[in-house]
Amino acid sequence: MNDQLPALIIVLPLVSALLVNIAGRVGRSYCWLFTVLVMTAVTGCALGLVSRVMTQGIIHYRLGGWPAPVGIEYVVDHLNVLMLVLISAVSLVAAIYSGPAVQREIPEQTTSFYTLFILLVAGLLGMTITGDAFNLYVLVEISALTGYGLIALGQGRAFLASFNYIIMGTVGACFYLLGVGHLYIKTGSLNMKDLYQLLPSLYSSETIAVAFILILAGVWAKMAFFPLHTWLPNAYTYAPTATSALVAPLMTKVSVYVMIRIIFSVFSPEFAFHISAVRHLVVWMAVVGIVTGSVMALLQTDFKKMLTYLIIAEVGYMVGGVWLANRAGITGAVLHVINDALMTLSLFLVAGVVTYRTGGHQVRNLQGFYRIMPWTMAAFTLAALSMIGVPPTVGFFSKWYLMLGAIHGAQWHFVAALVFSSLMNALLFFRIMEMAFFDAPDPAQAWVGPEAPVSMMAPVLGTAVGLLAVGLNSRVIVDRFIQFVIPAGL
Amino acid sequence: MIWCFDFIILLMLVTCAFAAIWSKGLLSAGMILSAYSFLMALLWTEMGAVDVAFTEAAVGAGVSTVFMIAVVYHTRRFIQPRRYGRMFFKLMGLLATLILGGLSLYAASDFPSWADPSEPASLHVAPYYIENTIRDTAVPNVVTSVLADYRGFDTMFETTVILTAGLVAHAVLRRLGRRRDPNRKTNDGRPVEAHTSIVVQRIARIMVPFIQLYALYVVAHGHHSPGGGFQGGVILGASFILVGLAYNIQTVLARFSEPLGVLLANTGVLLYAGIGVACMVLGANFLDYGILSRVLPGTSPVMARSHAMLGVEIGVAIAVSAIMVSIYINTASKGYHDQGL
Repeated sequence: MNDQLPALIIVLPLVSALLVNIAGRVGRSYCWLFTVLVMTAVTGCALGLVSRVMTQGIIHYRLGGWPAPVGIEYVVDHLNVLMLVLISAVSLVAAIYSGPAVQREIPEQTTSFYTLFILLVAGLLGMTITGDAFNLYVLVEISALTGYGLIALGQGRAFLASFNYIIMGTVGACFYLLGVGHLYIKTGSLNMKDLYQLLPSLYSSETIAVAFILILAGVWAKMAFFPLHTWLPNAYTYAPTATSALVAPLMTKVSVYVMIRIIFSVFSPEFAFHISAVRHLVVWMAVVGIVTGSVMALLQTDFKKMLTYLIIAEVGYMVGGVWLANRAGITGAVLHVINDALMTLSLFLVAGVVTYRTGGHQVRNLQGFYRIMPWTMAAFTLAALSMIGVPPTVGFFSKWYLMLGAIHGAQWHFVAALVFSSLMNALLFFRIMEMAFFDAPDPAQAWVGPEAPVSMMAPVLGTAVGLLAVGLNSRVIVDRFIQFVIPAGL
Repeated sequence: MIWCFDFIILLMLVTCAFAAIWSKGLLSAGMILSAYSFLMALLWTEMGAVDVAFTEAAVGAGVSTVFMIAVVYHTRRFIQPRRYGRMFFKLMGLLATLILGGLSLYAASDFPSWADPSEPASLHVAPYYIENTIRDTAVPNVVTSVLADYRGFDTMFETTVILTAGLVAHAVLRRLGRRRDPNRKTNDGRPVEAHTSIVVQRIARIMVPFIQLYALYVVAHGHHSPGGGFQGGVILGASFILVGLAYNIQTVLARFSEPLGVLLANTGVLLYAGIGVACMVLGANFLDYGILSRVLPGTSPVMARSHAMLGVEIGVAIAVSAIMVSIYINTASKGYHDQGL
């Protein structure tokens, strides 16, 4: 059975989603428990894959038994095994957390919510594990469609926000598909490893250059890289609490992973980074994205919307880090994918608890929260410190590598952007903390109990502890995994 | 390749695309897009991609037009002009189009010639499929063997994509609890018959059995001729949509109830995934149909592949037809399932 783990990690959630959808019509009260069990099993599969990759190296799995360029192949290496663990762990936490929030906000759509939830996780895992460029597109569609649906389950402006997301998301996916089509015209292959071997002789071709641009533009639209970010803030703000806890930490990060995978495993760093003007342009775009995201976050009065602008700034960190095109920068970017997912998860979980208790997610809803909900605010403080980049939280370590990479590559504007964004985050979060600490609680909210239900609090506190635990183990992650990811030439 | 034929179709295609964007009437834009899809189907046929043409005709020119009409029916028929920023959006659109068009032309400068036998796409994996499909799978239609076996995993998820679309339409539109739209007139609790045309109803009555029979043929004969689960499923779903258009939604629901639709949609994909899981249980990789010869009496691994492909095609057809009906009912009745369109 161990050999079947790569398929199992996708097939298990797929089949479970269908079963939830059928069984949920009978009794929807079990959906939550079942989802949590499925996510636990998926996390188990991911951990099993980690131990196999660490002992045996890269795993290849032939779907349908066909060898690579003829059939579809799954490839598990040091990069995507990390992502698999990240995705399954985050979705397990989000699944546990979702129970009370779904019951309060969208009780009638419980069954649909959990079906789409599990399918989204299957889509994200599939995007990560696949070694086939077209298969990746199919799973992008799965994760995108479920994402649109999960966001549209929110109230009021969620429909319009989801619609805007559909337009941008579809354009992004189309660009990716067009790019893959161009690659197929010139090579006749869809397998990533095969493409990697076939492409070098074609690097001078105009078609291949356009294919690269199209794929990159598509992935950037998906990850909300500046200036293609406009869909993200509203979509993530007006989504139901339980949706944003899953979607906000994972969607953009998996797209960043796809970008890294395309640059390293389909094309090569030599091809992607060989024109230094392009490299500098992308780093400049990242710089503008970081600055814009940070400034926009400072201007928000809505707590959740503020967090969404921070995501846009963080996407700038990761894209910029990769396009620094040196060892430290890429290490920082990959590490930041993991760290940012955890930080975003932690902050959105806190925002969800605030929404659950006060019925709103404005910044002023947090008045006097240190007195009302000390544990939640402890978790919030830790996450805020991590976003600012205070050691020993996760945020510090990846920012450190990014900083080293920028200094090494003499990209001083990127260094300045990182410092600026850290200062802005400090300003932003200390302002909230001050208000939550010194202001008196709103008397209108006095009726609420001390803390949220256990099934919401356990994920909040667990993630906060995770921020420290992963931070302290950054060295292990870099030495055991990330160093194998970076191509030898850099 | 008949170049003058191609040229005319492409010219009409571009005209349709322009007209659809130009048109201020959303209903007419939907109709023009239907014509666009039909021209695409012609073009695919001319290129020899008959399976794709079939899908394009059934999905693009067929059901998606009905969905568009349903949406227009419930929203508005004409575009409302933007109040502000009109020029800005037009300029941005123009800029994006120019960049994308320029890039496409630049990329096309290095394309291999049309139908060149020495182009890379004809030399790499394609010859393997063409030469070995009979030996590997005993299925003469290469498209089916690539779709359902060599790259069967993609097709399973494509079916899941359709399922997801149906689920999302259901989750977003369906109004549970409130059975009826409070703003609409009813006749003693029963919906008002918005349109009854005896001619349309009679014709639909005669057509539906033939459409359904043809759909089953398309599913079952996908191994040997163009067609398969997707096309057959869409045609089967379209027969129920025709009933809905000619009669009303109640008539469809009496024959294809909501719980049944949910069950069928999920069961279809489960059948596909289940065949894959069965292969895993027997000790082979996921979707490695050959091993099923152990449980199918009197079959060789090659024939087991052929039979399993029929199995997954049936699964696809069940799921797709149920989803098409479900999307139609949800969009046409705004999720109230009482009346509409």
